[in-house]
Amino acid sequence: MLFYGMVAVYYVMIVNILYFTIMALSYRNISTIYRRTKYSSYNTLSGSELVPPVSLLVPAYNEELTIIENVYCLMTLNYPTYEVIVINDGSGDKTLPVLIKEFKLEKIQNPEIRGTIDTETVRGIYHNPDYPQLFIIDKENGGKADSLNAGINFSHYPLISSIDADSLLEKDALIRMARMYMENPEEMVAIGGDVRIANGCLIENGAVKKISLPRKIWPMFQSIEYLKAFLGGRIGWSHINGLIIVSGAFGLFRKDYVIAVGGYRGGYPGEDMNIIIKLHRYMLSHKLPYKVAFCPEAVCWTQAPDTYNIIANQRKRWGRGNLKNMIENRGMLFNPKYKIMGLITMPYNVLFETLNPYFRITGLLALIGYTLLDMTHWRILLTFILLNFLSGYLLGVAAIILEEIAFRRYKKISDLWKMLLFSALKFVGYHQLGVLWRVQGHIQYLRKNNSWGTMTRQSWKEESETA
Amino acid sequence: MFSHLIVAYIFIFICLGLIGLGIILLFLMKISQNKEQQLREMYEQKHHDYFVYIQTHLEDEKALRLPPGKLKPLERRVIQDKYMEWIEQFKGEYRAKMIQLCRDAGLVEEDLKALKSFRYGRRLGAAYRLGGMRAGEAVPALLQMLQKGKYNSLLIIIARSIAKSAQRPEDVIEMLRTLLSHGKPIHHLAADIMLETGLDTSGLLMKLLDDQDPALVKVGLVAMWGQAVPEVMPVLGRLVGSEEKDVRAEAVKLYLSSNPTLKDETIVQLMSDRNWEVRAAAAKALGPLHAAGSIPLLVKALQDANWKVRHSSAESLAALGEAGFEALCQAALSGAGIQREAALQRIELVMEKKQEHSAIEQMVAYNKKRLIHDRYFGVKQQPIKRMPGIAAVGGDYTA
Amino acid sequence: MPESATLQREQRTDVYQNLGERFKETTRELCGIMFLFCSGNPPQLENRVRDFLQHESGMEFEVLKDSSTQTLAILMPGFTLDATHYQALLLKQHLQETMENVDPRITLTVFPGQVDPTPGVLKQMAESTRLSTSSDIHIFTKEEAVQEPGRILIVDNDDAIREFLTIRLKMQGYETLEALDGTSALELIEKWEPDLVLTELNLYGIDGLPFIHQIKQLPVENTPKIVVLTEQRVERTISQCFQNGVNDYVTKPFSPVELDARIHRCFH
Repeated sequence: MLFYGMVAVYYVMIVNILYFTIMALSYRNISTIYRRTKYSSYNTLSGSELVPPVSLLVPAYNEELTIIENVYCLMTLNYPTYEVIVINDGSGDKTLPVLIKEFKLEKIQNPEIRGTIDTETVRGIYHNPDYPQLFIIDKENGGKADSLNAGINFSHYPLISSIDADSLLEKDALIRMARMYMENPEEMVAIGGDVRIANGCLIENGAVKKISLPRKIWPMFQSIEYLKAFLGGRIGWSHINGLIIVSGAFGLFRKDYVIAVGGYRGGYPGEDMNIIIKLHRYMLSHKLPYKVAFCPEAVCWTQAPDTYNIIANQRKRWGRGNLKNMIENRGMLFNPKYKIMGLITMPYNVLFETLNPYFRITGLLALIGYTLLDMTHWRILLTFILLNFLSGYLLGVAAIILEEIAFRRYKKISDLWKMLLFSALKFVGYHQLGVLWRVQGHIQYLRKNNSWGTMTRQSWKEESETA
Repeated sequence: MFSHLIVAYIFIFICLGLIGLGIILLFLMKISQNKEQQLREMYEQKHHDYFVYIQTHLEDEKALRLPPGKLKPLERRVIQDKYMEWIEQFKGEYRAKMIQLCRDAGLVEEDLKALKSFRYGRRLGAAYRLGGMRAGEAVPALLQMLQKGKYNSLLIIIARSIAKSAQRPEDVIEMLRTLLSHGKPIHHLAADIMLETGLDTSGLLMKLLDDQDPALVKVGLVAMWGQAVPEVMPVLGRLVGSEEKDVRAEAVKLYLSSNPTLKDETIVQLMSDRNWEVRAAAAKALGPLHAAGSIPLLVKALQDANWKVRHSSAESLAALGEAGFEALCQAALSGAGIQREAALQRIELVMEKKQEHSAIEQMVAYNKKRLIHDRYFGVKQQPIKRMPGIAAVGGDYTA
Repeated sequence: MPESATLQREQRTDVYQNLGERFKETTRELCGIMFLFCSGNPPQLENRVRDFLQHESGMEFEVLKDSSTQTLAILMPGFTLDATHYQALLLKQHLQETMENVDPRITLTVFPGQVDPTPGVLKQMAESTRLSTSSDIHIFTKEEAVQEPGRILIVDNDDAIREFLTIRLKMQGYETLEALDGTSALELIEKWEPDLVLTELNLYGIDGLPFIHQIKQLPVENTPKIVVLTEQRVERTISQCFQNGVNDYVTKPFSPVELDARIHRCFH
C-alpha cells in the first residue's frame, strides 16, 4: 500500500513537472505576444479589402434570452467583411420567433446551399436585406455539431468561425485572429481564442463595458481555472503545435480542411476537441505542413454556469467527450507517424487528463489506508497532500503572472488578492469535485448515457444588474 | 523510503519559494502598472490645453510650438503617443506638420538612438514609433533589422514601420522582397503593409508588376483591388498570358474588372483556361460586357465542373437580354444535372426580382423575360420544384 | 443701492469704451487679447499675471481690470492667434502651479480677426469668460457673435477623433454633440434633431448599414444628412452606404480641409 502511495506521489510530481514544462513554454512566448499586441494597430487591417472574409457560425438551442444581445454583439465586430449565421437547432423555446421579430426577417425562397455534409433537414433560411450580413438557418434538432455542419453548408466565405450563443466577442477579437491567420495563411488550419468568464462584468450594448471578477464562487473558480488552462497551458501547447482542443466557444477554421475531414462529428459532446484531433490526423497523414494555433489576445467572454447542478452536468459532459475522443483515436497513441500529436499530446491527455482522477483518488486512498494502519506515518500523507496543493498553487500563481505581463484585464489590487485567494481555495473542495465529475462522466460513457443535461441561460441584462 | 520523502520535501520547498517570489512579483508589477497608469492620466490632463492648442492651430501657417515646461520621460511618451495618433488620423499637410513637430521635439532622434539599444524590446518599440513618426532616416536601420530577424509577427511590425517611413519606392520593394523571402504565401498581408506607404502607389505598383519575382508581381496584383490605376493596364495585358498560375488568375480578374473590349479568340481562350478562377472571372465579365456573341460559350460553361463557373455563367446569361435569358430557359428545360440546376436557380432569382423593377424600361425588360419564361414553363407560379438541400452538386468550397 | 450700481455700470462701459477706442486707432496692427477670470477673485491675481508676463522677455502687454465682472483683460500687441493661445496656456499652467485651488477661465481672440473690436463684442467676451462652464481655453469666434449654426452629431468610439472634430467644427460655428455608440446616437438624433450626423461605421451597439438604415427610419421631422468618416475601405460597403442614402463617405486617414468642404456642401 505504501509502495502504491509512493507511486502516486511520483505520479503527481511528474504530472507537475510536465505542467511546468508547458508553462515554461508559455513564458517563452509571452513577451512576443505582449509586443505584437502592443505594437499592432488593427484599425488599418479592420477596414482593408485584403483581409479574408469570415463566416461566423452561431449554433443556438433554446437561447431566447441571450440570442438578440449576442447577435447585436457579433454584428458590430471590427472586421471588414463577414457574415453571421445563426443556426436554430430546433429550439423548443422562442429563439426563432424572437430573432424574426427583432430583425424583421423573411424566409428566403429557394436558398442556395452549396455544402454537402449530411445534416438534419433544414426547414428554412431567414434574411433581411437591411441587415445584409445576417442569416438565420432554422433546422430540425440535431445537436451542436450538426448545427455547425448546416452552417458550413450554407456559409459563403473560405474561413469559418464557431461561436457559442452564450459568448460575447471583444470588438477586435476576430481581426486579431485574422492577423495571425494572414501571417501564415497556408499552414494555419485552426486558431483558438482565449475564453474568459463574463460573470460579474458589466455588459452593455452587447459588449463588456467594465471588467471585474465574478461575485459568486462557482464562476470565480471557473475564472481561475480558465486563466490557468488558457494562458498557462494553451500558449505552451500551441508553441509545439500540440494543441488538442480549440475551444468551441470561439475558434477560427479553414473551411476547406474542415470539410475535408468530414465536418463536425455529431452525437457526442466534445466535438470541439474531435475536430482538432481530426485535423491533426488529416494533415499529418497527408504530410502537409500545418499549424493549430492559440491566439490569446483574441478574447471571448462567456457566461459560466453558476449553480452546482449545471456546472456538474457540464463537467460530466466534458469527461464523457474526452473519454470518447481518446477511445476513438486510440490509434494515434504512441504512433510516431503522428509526431508531437501521437507521441506527446495524446499520451499526455490519456495519462494525465483522462486517467488523472483514478491515480489521484487511489493514491490518496492508499495513503489514508496506510496511515490508518500505522498512525506514525501521517507525515507521508501530509507530504502527499502538500505536494498536490503547492504545485497546483504554484501553477496558479504562474498563470496570474502571465496575465499580468501581457493582458492586464483586471486592474484593481483587490482583484489580485481575490485571484490569489481563490487559486488556493480551489484545492479545497472544487478541485476534488472536478475529479469526481470526471469520473461520473466516464461512468455515464460506459453506461451509454448520452444526455445533454440541463443548461439554463441567464439573460445578459440580469447579469449586468446583479453585477 | 526515506530518500523518496526527501525528494518530495525538496519539491515542496522549491514550490514554496517560487510561490513566495511569484506573489511578491505580482504585487510589484500591479502597483507599478497602476502608478504608471495614474501618471499617464495626470499628464494627459496637464497637457489638455496644449493638445487643444495643437488641434486648433494645425491650419495656421506658422510652425506649432513644443509643449511647455520641462518634461519627464513618461510625460514625453504621453505627448508622443498623442502626436502619433494624429499622424495616423490625418492626411496631407496636417500630417506633415505633426511629423515636423515630432522632429522638433527631438522625439525622432531619441528613438533613433533607442534603435541601437542592446535590448530587443527597446529596439522594437523604437522601430514601431519611428514608423508612427514617418521617420525616413530610420529606414536603412529598420531594413537591416528586418533582414536579420526570424519570420514571426514582430517582423511584421518592423515591415509596417518601413512601409510608413520609406521615402523611396526601392526601400518598400526591398522590404517586400525580404518579407517574402521566407517563402510564406503572405501576399495579402504584404499588400496591406505596402499600402501603408505615403509614396505614390501607382508608381510602386508599376514597379512591382514589372518585377522578376512572381511573388512580388502577385503582391502588386493583390494590392490593385480597389485602386484605379489606368497606367498599369498594358502590363496587365501581358500578365494575362503569364505561365504562373496564380499570377494569371489574379491578372485576368483585374483585367476583366475594368470592362475591356475583348476579341472573340481571347474570350474562347479564357473560357477554356485550365484554371477555374480564370474561367469564372471570364464568365462573370461576359454579362456586363454585353458580349451577346458568347451565349453559346456560356451555355456550355453551365456544365463546367466548377460551381463558381456555372454560377457566373448563368448570371451573365441572365444579364444578356432576352436572347441570353431564352438560352438559359432552354438549358433549364433540355439540359440535365448540374447544368439544369445552375440555370433553374438563376431563372428563379430573375423571376423573384419582380417587385424591384420600378423604372419603366426595366419593367418592360422584365415582362419580356416573364413571357419567355411562361413560354417555356407555363404560367404556374413555381415552374419546377427543386428539392431544397440537394441544390448543391460538386465539391468546391473555395469561395 | 441704485446709485453705486449706475456708477459701476458707467465705469464698466468705460473700460470697454476705452478698449474699443484703442483698437480703432490701431486697426492695422495685430493685437491678441485674452480675458481671464478666476472664481473667488483670488488676491494678487493681477500682480501675479503682470509678474508672469514681464518674465517673458521682450513682450509688450497691458493688463486692465474690470471690477464689475472681476475679469482681467490682457492685451498683447503684435501677437497672432496661435501665439496668444500658446501664451494663454502658459499663463494658465503658471497660475495652476503657483496658486492653490485656482480655476482660471480664459477666452481669447485676435484683432483684426474674426470679430470686430466693438465695445459690445468685448463685453460679450468678458461675460462669456465669467460664465464659462468648462475650464478649457476658449477661442471667441464670429459665429458666437452671430448665432446661426448648423447642428452636427459626432458619432465615434475614438475619443481623439471626437475631440478633434468637436474642436474643429465648433471653430467653424457649428453646434455639436458627441455620441460614443450607435444606440445612444440614435436616441440623441431623435431628441436633438441634428442637421447632420458625422459618423464612424464601426460602433458599439448597432453599426454599419443597419445603423444608417435606422437613422433613416427615425420619426423625426427632417432626417439628418449623413456623412461617414471611417476606416472601412471595402468597396462593396461603400457602395451599399451610398445606396442607403449616405450623403458622403470619407475614409480615414482623412484630410480635415476636405472633410470641412464636404460637410459644408451638405449644408448648402
